[in-house]
Amino acid sequence: MAPDGAPDAAGGDRNSDVSVRELSELRDLLFGGERRQLEELRRRLDTLEMTPEELAEKLPQAIALRSARDDQLAIAMAPTVETAISESVRRNPHEIATAIFPVLGPAIRKAIAETMAGLVNTINRAIDHSLSPRGIRWRIESWRTGVPFAQIVIRHALVYRVEQVFLVHAETGLLLAHVPEETSANADLISGMLTAITDFVNDSFETRQTGELRTFAVGDLTVLVEAGPQAYIAAVVRGQPPESLPVELQSTLETIHLQWSNPLTAFDGDSAPFATARPLLDDCVETVLSTDDVANARGFRRYAWVIPLLLFVVAVEWFGTSGRRRWNAAVARLESEPGITVIRSERSGGRWHLTGMRDPLAANPTALLAGSGIDTTDVHARWEPFVSTEPALVLARARRVLAPPASVTLTVSGDSLIASGRATAAWTARVAAVAPALPGIASVDLSRVEPGLPAEMDSLRGEIEGTRALFAVGSDVLDDAARGTMNAVSDRIRALAEAARRHGYEVTVQLVGRTDPSGSTNENLSLSRRRAVAIRDHLTSRGVPTAMLEPTPTGSGNPLSASGSSDRARINRSVSFVVRTTPLPGARAAERMR
Amino acid sequence: MIQKKICMVGVYGTGKTSLVQRYVQSIFSAKYHSTVGVKVDRKEVNLGATTVTLLLWDVEGRTADHEIPTSYLRGAHAMFFVADGTRRETVDALFDLREHARAAAGDVPSIVALNKNDLQDQWRIGPSDTSKLITAGVHVVRTSAKTGEGVEDSFRWLANATLGEPASPTDQSQVRHAR
Repeated sequence: MAPDGAPDAAGGDRNSDVSVRELSELRDLLFGGERRQLEELRRRLDTLEMTPEELAEKLPQAIALRSARDDQLAIAMAPTVETAISESVRRNPHEIATAIFPVLGPAIRKAIAETMAGLVNTINRAIDHSLSPRGIRWRIESWRTGVPFAQIVIRHALVYRVEQVFLVHAETGLLLAHVPEETSANADLISGMLTAITDFVNDSFETRQTGELRTFAVGDLTVLVEAGPQAYIAAVVRGQPPESLPVELQSTLETIHLQWSNPLTAFDGDSAPFATARPLLDDCVETVLSTDDVANARGFRRYAWVIPLLLFVVAVEWFGTSGRRRWNAAVARLESEPGITVIRSERSGGRWHLTGMRDPLAANPTALLAGSGIDTTDVHARWEPFVSTEPALVLARARRVLAPPASVTLTVSGDSLIASGRATAAWTARVAAVAPALPGIASVDLSRVEPGLPAEMDSLRGEIEGTRALFAVGSDVLDDAARGTMNAVSDRIRALAEAARRHGYEVTVQLVGRTDPSGSTNENLSLSRRRAVAIRDHLTSRGVPTAMLEPTPTGSGNPLSASGSSDRARINRSVSFVVRTTPLPGARAAERMR
Repeated sequence: MIQKKICMVGVYGTGKTSLVQRYVQSIFSAKYHSTVGVKVDRKEVNLGATTVTLLLWDVEGRTADHEIPTSYLRGAHAMFFVADGTRRETVDALFDLREHARAAAGDVPSIVALNKNDLQDQWRIGPSDTSKLITAGVHVVRTSAKTGEGVEDSFRWLANATLGEPASPTDQSQVRHAR
């Protein structure tokens, strides 16, 4: 049986294998979909956390849903977004600047417009309060009560002012935060009492069903109470609070509940964590003054806007006339300038137009206008050239045409040109011929011109006249030094003679002999003659024509001056030179031609 | 700043208000008692490093037809009960009052001032009454509004207790010596 049994057993195994497989297939056919879903669910249960993919799928929808419901998401994200923006600005300011640029312009314009409106309003109120009977009444009130006028005005013009804001722990009535600081002395007591009173009202009138105490008023003070689950906010308002204020308080309270959620829950009397909530409360403190008062709009105030307009017009007018005044002064200055004649000056098309005549030698009119404070880019000028016979211009023209040497001074008197100084004969001759032809000059006066030498001769003359031969006391003998000096002088005299010949001059050189004052006049005269003759002989020996040299003894009668008496005596024991030149008649004409 | 809300509770006429009025800072007049039924005062207690500001809700005394409003007791950090040592019924009423307070503010540190201790000849409280109170978990002090006896000690004990450091009898004796 065993051999049979084995195949039996094997057949049984095969049968069971087949049946398991079939069963599995059947199961797949019947429950395949469910099984897969089951596995997916199991997987999700095992990993309860969302995968990033799933989160990415849900996030936009989640944000949209929560944002539609309330502002909490925005409030929660605000600190992160602020940090991100400041980080972005720190890294790349350009990106943010580009992004917000389209917003900035309108914002700035709006701010300026509001400032201007505020300014007009302030002017209006100031005028109103200073001039109206009411303003005078307020001044009297200020004087009577000792309260500053500004405070009186504010008190009367006040619409409302949020004077204090309390943040109070709802359950205990303990003060969490309070603004402003300076009124905080008894804020804890007040907040306790406020809580007690609120409780009292709520208890007494069973307001639980209909809502809680939110407002109570005493005189012109109103206390607004906005309650939250863990804290309430109370604002003390003087005047008439606007409808928007409770909403603002409520939103502040919501923010505090969100951001200080943990400190509020854990509060056990320590208010320190809420010090950082004070800026939020500070935002609720405000003063609003009346910006318009319909009852007073009639009368003067209605036209108060005219004042700034008038000021503007006056300013423009003043500016305009001052501009015209400056222009007229500048034109007058132009007209007073020699060689410039203004024919027409007018303003058109936002520019000044100038027409006139100008001597080319006259001053630059553009520079003159600029000097009078005129913006010359704003001026269109047209100048016709002409020749002016005003003395200043005549003189300028004469200087330009005649080119006088530095030693000559030209002046104009009436219609005659006057020259004075030292000039060459050639220049003098040319002036005499040319000057009367210049416009505005009828005659030339050259009587004050001394004849000058040509430069070459003039410098030789200077050198010769600057030299002298010195002698020992009582001597008429040239020593070695004097001999050397005289050798040089002889060369110059010969050069001068040569130049004089070329330029058509006759030259003589006076040899002025001198002595010191000691000794008798006759003796001195004699000694001075001997000294002069000694020099003449020496110069003659050096090739100088004797005829050019004129020994001129002066003794001690015509002394050279010097600072000390010994010096004076020394330099007067000498022979010095004086050069005399006389133009030859024929040579003048020759030079004039050059 | 550490602030604590303390409720002062007692039967009408136990001298509760006169017990504290000399020792606290107050800006509200007594008429709040008859109108709102409570008056909030301030008592600053200096405990060395920390100063605790006790805000004392002096609640109008209970009468036969006037129950103390629970909203005034809510959130209190400690209870200050006052009884008149010369009137036994004021002590008996404390047990009721305490239950009322416990319902409103929870199990907070409590002190009982047996007031008018200066009137020893009219004293009606025996040691058994005192021990009954102590057994109930209440700290007991004898006070006198007239002489000031025990008043500062009471506030000091309360301040300590609200900070979670209930003073032991040893602490009390130290406080007493320190005065």
